[in-house]
Amino acid sequence: MLAIQTIADGLVLGGLYALSAVGFSLIFGVMGVVNLSHGALVMIGAYLAWFVWHSLGVDPLLAIPVVMGVLAVFGYVYQRVLIQLAVDRSSHVASMLVTFGVALMLRNTLVLVFSPDLRSITPSYSGHPLVLGSIVLDPVRLAALAASLVLLGALAMILQRSKMGRVIRATAQQELAARLCGVNAHHIYGLTFAVSAAFAGAAGAILGIVLPFSPPDEGLWTLNAFVVVVLGGVGSPAGALVGGLVLGVMSTGTSQLIGAAFPNAMMFAVLVLMLLVRPSGLLGNAFAGSR
Amino acid sequence: MSIVLLIVAAAVPFMVMPFYVRVGQLILLSAALGLAWTLLGGFAGYWSFGHAAFIGLGAFSAGLFETELMKGQPLLGFGLGLIVGGVVCALAAAVVAWPILRLRGIYFAVAMLGVSQVLAELTNNVDVFKGSMGLVLPRIAAFGLRPEALFYDVLLIATVVVGCIAFAIKNGRIGAGLMAIREDEDTARMLGVPTERYKIMMFILSAALTGALGVIYAHSLGYITTSSVYRTEFSLNMIVYNLLGGMGTLVGPFLGSAVMVILTQVVLGRLLSIHMFITGALLVLLVLAAPKGIIGLFKGGLFGGRAKG
Repeated sequence: MLAIQTIADGLVLGGLYALSAVGFSLIFGVMGVVNLSHGALVMIGAYLAWFVWHSLGVDPLLAIPVVMGVLAVFGYVYQRVLIQLAVDRSSHVASMLVTFGVALMLRNTLVLVFSPDLRSITPSYSGHPLVLGSIVLDPVRLAALAASLVLLGALAMILQRSKMGRVIRATAQQELAARLCGVNAHHIYGLTFAVSAAFAGAAGAILGIVLPFSPPDEGLWTLNAFVVVVLGGVGSPAGALVGGLVLGVMSTGTSQLIGAAFPNAMMFAVLVLMLLVRPSGLLGNAFAGSR
Repeated sequence: MSIVLLIVAAAVPFMVMPFYVRVGQLILLSAALGLAWTLLGGFAGYWSFGHAAFIGLGAFSAGLFETELMKGQPLLGFGLGLIVGGVVCALAAAVVAWPILRLRGIYFAVAMLGVSQVLAELTNNVDVFKGSMGLVLPRIAAFGLRPEALFYDVLLIATVVVGCIAFAIKNGRIGAGLMAIREDEDTARMLGVPTERYKIMMFILSAALTGALGVIYAHSLGYITTSSVYRTEFSLNMIVYNLLGGMGTLVGPFLGSAVMVILTQVVLGRLLSIHMFITGALLVLLVLAAPKGIIGLFKGGLFGGRAKG
């Protein structure tokens, strides 16, 4: 029974990992840019949701559309102004340093605006555990998992069915060919970044009701996104979901079986092994063959 | 000329305030670390995002060796500790080298980040390594020097040694091979450059030098914990110094570390609350304005030529 409870907890955590990583994965897949400020975007989402909840009493899950809107605008501008310039003037690896610099700036700004203290959001429906036989489920965590899955499904639909999704995928596969077909590649990159930032923000809002958070956590969430992408595969919501769930279960499993201090070590050991054995992830790269 | 310069540099700690001796120490350490990193990263184009692993591994292996086996002989312990730290790092690098160097670009960078995180977590959580408790290193006093002056001069010697090694490699046959790997690994291999062997050699050498520098750094701190030596900032800073100075050059790490350390420690030292913001902004500005580093500025002018690759 303990095993089932561990797996259930792992899945809830995994849904959150998946959602927080999907935007990172999209940017990596479409543009080849590693966005080290992704975790900072997640934290901005968490703080926006906290602010709305704290000052207006709006439930964080209801605030998600607002958070996503704000971050989408931010993401679009960020890409068009900074990232594109860095990629054009230097290299993809150097653009990574630009995103790291932005992550530092964002973290510092969050500390100045919201203080470095730990924050947490407690929605009205918390504290009424749902008991199913011998498994105890927290409604907050269930809501978090459900919201994560709905959003991941929505993103998959957007990418597969909508015109924007088709253009994004086309640009990812071959930028030149897409441009020859009349696609404004820079605009599409901006849009991709906007989508990515929006989903990072949504993940942050959901994160707020599950875990306490503070600005320095951004590094951790960037690393998590990395591991999820390497585990699952680049560029697709399905890959992020697989990677996220595997990571979640692995993390709760490790702290249960080996010791509470070891999930991180396990996580990175699996990351390195996975890179060596199958660098394209369990589901492979959605857009191109990776070396 | 250069000998005179060295003697002047070695005499600096006796003429300025202790704070500036610390700053000088930091510049030398940073430059030496940047040079050790660039053996693989700058010359061969394999950017490691986890070189702090070797600072930590060197510091802790030497620290444990000195406190457990070398009680009462601090100076001999330090000398042997340098070797122990270097050798342990070289061995660790040799173990992971072959598999990890098959990865390229971002995948190699991330795998190294993973390696450094795993080592940090193990050091922190396995009690034998004393990572979370911390390790007090033996105090070294030699030639009647004050500690900060002593470590300044030790670091000066270390920087010169690492610089000479880097110079010899860059201008030798192996250096040409490494540059060929950086420009196009497949072509280099086709033309008969033993790419695997060169990469592995450089990885091991870079790790060993970083490890030895980690030992010196640990001693200059006096007391180390996991979080004081396995710092991701170290890994990133090694890249930043090179990028700021000029990637793949020998002068680059010196220029980069001097500018960065002086800016962050001396100029911004008083603005602690926005310190991180300004460091980040500098980083962004640096990549955008000078993609080829300070050396590139002299050659191409501000916002001048485009650098690709």
